[in-house]
Amino acid sequence: MNALLSMENLTAGYGEADILQNVSMTVAQDEIVAIVGPNGAGKSTAMKSVFGLLSVRGGKMLFDGDEITGWAPNRIVQRGICYVPQVDNIFREMSIHENLEMGGFLKTGDLTAAYDRVYELFPDLKERRKTLAGSLSGGQRQMVAMGRALMLDPKLLLLDEPTAGLSPKYMEQIFQICRDVQDAGVAILLVEQHAKQALAFSDRGYVLAAGKNRHEGTGADLLADREVAEMFLGG
Amino acid sequence: MDLFELLNFYVVPGIVLGSIYALGAVGITLIFAILRYAHLAHGDMATLGAFLALAAVTSLGVSPYAALPIAIVGTAVVAVGIDKVFYEHLRERPKIVTVMASLGIALMIRAVVQVVWGVDTQTYSRGIVRPEDYFGIRIRDREIFTILAMVALVGALQLFLTRSKWGKAMRAMSDNPNLALLSGIDNKKVVILTWVIAGGLCAASGFFLGVNTELKSMMGWHMLLPMFAAAILGGVGRVEGAVLGGLIVGIAEELSVLVIPSEYKAAMAFAILLFMLLVRPTGLLKGKVL
Repeated sequence: MNALLSMENLTAGYGEADILQNVSMTVAQDEIVAIVGPNGAGKSTAMKSVFGLLSVRGGKMLFDGDEITGWAPNRIVQRGICYVPQVDNIFREMSIHENLEMGGFLKTGDLTAAYDRVYELFPDLKERRKTLAGSLSGGQRQMVAMGRALMLDPKLLLLDEPTAGLSPKYMEQIFQICRDVQDAGVAILLVEQHAKQALAFSDRGYVLAAGKNRHEGTGADLLADREVAEMFLGG
Repeated sequence: MDLFELLNFYVVPGIVLGSIYALGAVGITLIFAILRYAHLAHGDMATLGAFLALAAVTSLGVSPYAALPIAIVGTAVVAVGIDKVFYEHLRERPKIVTVMASLGIALMIRAVVQVVWGVDTQTYSRGIVRPEDYFGIRIRDREIFTILAMVALVGALQLFLTRSKWGKAMRAMSDNPNLALLSGIDNKKVVILTWVIAGGLCAASGFFLGVNTELKSMMGWHMLLPMFAAAILGGVGRVEGAVLGGLIVGIAEELSVLVIPSEYKAAMAFAILLFMLLVRPTGLLKGKVL
């Protein structure tokens, strides 16, 4: 399999402490990969280190043929990776449409095609495009956040707990949107608290614990694994 | 006292003074929204703007209003320069360091003004201007120009912030700096833009104070407190709030003369500032907390 993103023996953290130790992962073209694990396992840290948001102390990252270790966020955005943080992932005091416009900030020229593509994925947003993003419900905010990240037509989308705090109905909807995004040719790497649902819907998964790789495999295999089930998925 | 007396002696001067405060308060509010600190050199920057206009009037022989654009451009350049030379190096430090540094900048600007133009009172043009009578409301041309210029400048700023790509980028950075960075918005350019706008409006504020009163090296420093009161009253980060706050503070200062001795006029701004910080720190239009 041809890897779009590969992390090799990554060690990273904040301040003195290493939160990730020798973590390796790959994401292939058009693949949905989930990172699951208990709280404090380093799931979000893994994602932030891809995006250059914290210092990487060992290992390297390759994306689409380039080594991107240590790149600044705006360079990574331009290269084709977009990131949706778990919290504060919208511009609250701007309209839905302006949120998308900011997502496409680096694109020169006409944004019409990009708007059309995002509004096709999220028809609800199109109707309310003039609404302030801060007044939306949690599920709709998540759609705005994903829409903003999709404006630059990325090859890989990083989602940090996209379903945190959402009702099951919205969770299903977000997962369905992820599949639509995948069908549009974008690979997705997501961190999830809802391990069962996330593994069931992803192509592959990684189980992280205490900052290290524990298990990896297809979603179905991981779900069937006794140890994984007992450790992280509540039996 | 009849209605016209109230309007002519208190409300009209209050709106004029309020417009002058508003021009400064908008800059204070923008700087706080983008850079997240209280800029204490704002008053003295206004003084500089007023004296740059005076320099253009005396050296080029142009009319004061023709000198205004020169003062705006000059002050904007100085504001960007001060940021590059001083504030930029303090960005990663706690914000209080920059606040204190801005106090030092205030003293430096004032010293330069005093060295170059002296400490005496100066004016753009001599002579007494009589107010015109419009259906009982008496107002001078320069007062009309002050109010119109404030409305035009702030209106243009609002259009810029809501319609243009870089204006929206400024709002995005004020709203969520982290996400602005993740969207690839160049924060250095946004900061330069902020200083150009704040510096330019500051010059206009000082200029109109000079047009309506006199030029003194302490003129801007004395405006600092009312400008901050206006920005906080309106809601920090809110441009329309800064205008509303400016007008309220200006009118309140003029009206206060009815109940307290006029030497204590400046206490009005202080009272409003304290009251808002205690009762509603987000301001009338729900801004950020300073």
